Amino acid sequence: MDKISALMDGELDDRQAREQLVRLKQDDELIGYWHAFHVIGDALRGEPVLSQGFNRRLSDRLNGEPTVLAPQRRAVKRMTTYALSAAASVSAVALVGWIAFVSNPFAPQPELAKAPAAATVLPSAAPPAQLASVPSDGTMNEYLIAHQGFSPSTSIQGVAPYIRTVSGVRQDKGR
Amino acid sequence: MRAWPIVILVLAAPVLAAESGVTEDGVTWLKKMATASRQLNYSGTFVYRYSNQTETSRIVHYVNQAGGEFEKMETLDGPAREVIRTNDQVICYLPESRTVLIEKRGKRRFPALVPEQLTGVADNYVISVTETDRVAGHECRVILLAPKDKMRYGHRFCAEIASGLPLRARTVNEKNELLESFAFTELTIGGSFNRDRVRSRYAAKSKDWRVDHSAFSIAETPAETGWVLTQQPAGFRKLTELTRSFAGRAAKVSHIVYSDGLAAVSVFIEPMTKTRPLQSLSHQGAVNIYTRTVSDYMVTVLGEAPATTVMQIANSLELRGAQGR
Repeated sequence: MDKISALMDGELDDRQAREQLVRLKQDDELIGYWHAFHVIGDALRGEPVLSQGFNRRLSDRLNGEPTVLAPQRRAVKRMTTYALSAAASVSAVALVGWIAFVSNPFAPQPELAKAPAAATVLPSAAPPAQLASVPSDGTMNEYLIAHQGFSPSTSIQGVAPYIRTVSGVRQDKGR
Repeated sequence: MRAWPIVILVLAAPVLAAESGVTEDGVTWLKKMATASRQLNYSGTFVYRYSNQTETSRIVHYVNQAGGEFEKMETLDGPAREVIRTNDQVICYLPESRTVLIEKRGKRRFPALVPEQLTGVADNYVISVTETDRVAGHECRVILLAPKDKMRYGHRFCAEIASGLPLRARTVNEKNELLESFAFTELTIGGSFNRDRVRSRYAAKSKDWRVDHSAFSIAETPAETGWVLTQQPAGFRKLTELTRSFAGRAAKVSHIVYSDGLAAVSVFIEPMTKTRPLQSLSHQGAVNIYTRTVSDYMVTVLGEAPATTVMQIANSLELRGAQGR
């Protein structure tokens, strides 16, 4: 288990990493730890935790992708390929995590379908302009209220624009 | 030679007159709308539309003999929510979460449309007074504010012909897509002051609810926060700069407001306290909200302006003075 943690932190050399990836592949319990570590990491970083069954759905999607594997090679090569695809899945997970964080948690699945294809894009490299806007979840209400009092639109429409403030609340409660 | 300027003036005069004539008419309507919503007694039902959602609310507005304003808005769909305004104090009652949010100001009045702002509006929007329409059974005049650039949204108002009360307000983006709209579906203008109709139904019940203490700790003081914009969006100027406090936060928050006369963008700067995402962009109707960090500070910028404008403001913030906090 500690090896898995080290693998996650990128502390293993190539050979060790490959060994661990093989173990992961064969052991469902270890895979469970692997996922749990990521969830814990996400939670610690304050990132929203992915919904239940996410991994299964992502795997299903990945399985549905056309597999571009060269015909039968030596075992070592296959492992390399696996390591690479594992790395790709991890960055896909990171990216999807990022997308999930900037989008509505109830957003439909299509966004997941896009994720594997975009796996090479580093989340941190995404320019601000590409930041997807999500409906406000009510966490910004105190700022909205404070802002509303200064907005000239309030002087034209009276208290009505304050509805924006209380509208977000319902979505917040819906979570 | 001397005749040339005169000729030009003569030629230009009708154009200028026509242009300013229209603008003045538009500005007159804007003033009329602002005055009407502050000084009239009215009650009605309005629908707020944003994204694919609609919400119906009941609104009552009264002015007493001393000129004091009393306003009550309650949502009719979904969980009950109520907003009560008494002059400069706004209280939101959220029964479902048993919370009361209070925003109280000091001596400062609710924003009135001051002449400066109206100049701003005319500088940044092409105002046209167009056809008449009917909203909630009342005849109204359509006033269009088309943005002169992409830094702001377009607005379409329909103001009641006689009083100028805005009966409908729509905000559109550059593709002319509706971002949000407020429209009365039923409205009575007039009626005499009735304090009971603008009282909260939760005033007594809410005694043991969680009260957001901004109410009592709020201290808005005009201040040099030390923060400046290296790239102020065209047409926007600083409306106010102050420090304030928010409920449950020890640190003072710098609050700077920029406005183009109609739209406003607020900047909130505070020391980083808890783990928050480094960057996020969200929206509520026509309001865009962007958060980012600048060194050790958390910056929250929001306003009824395009996301690019909000983000430009956030991204060009710089701490110059020593007083930044």
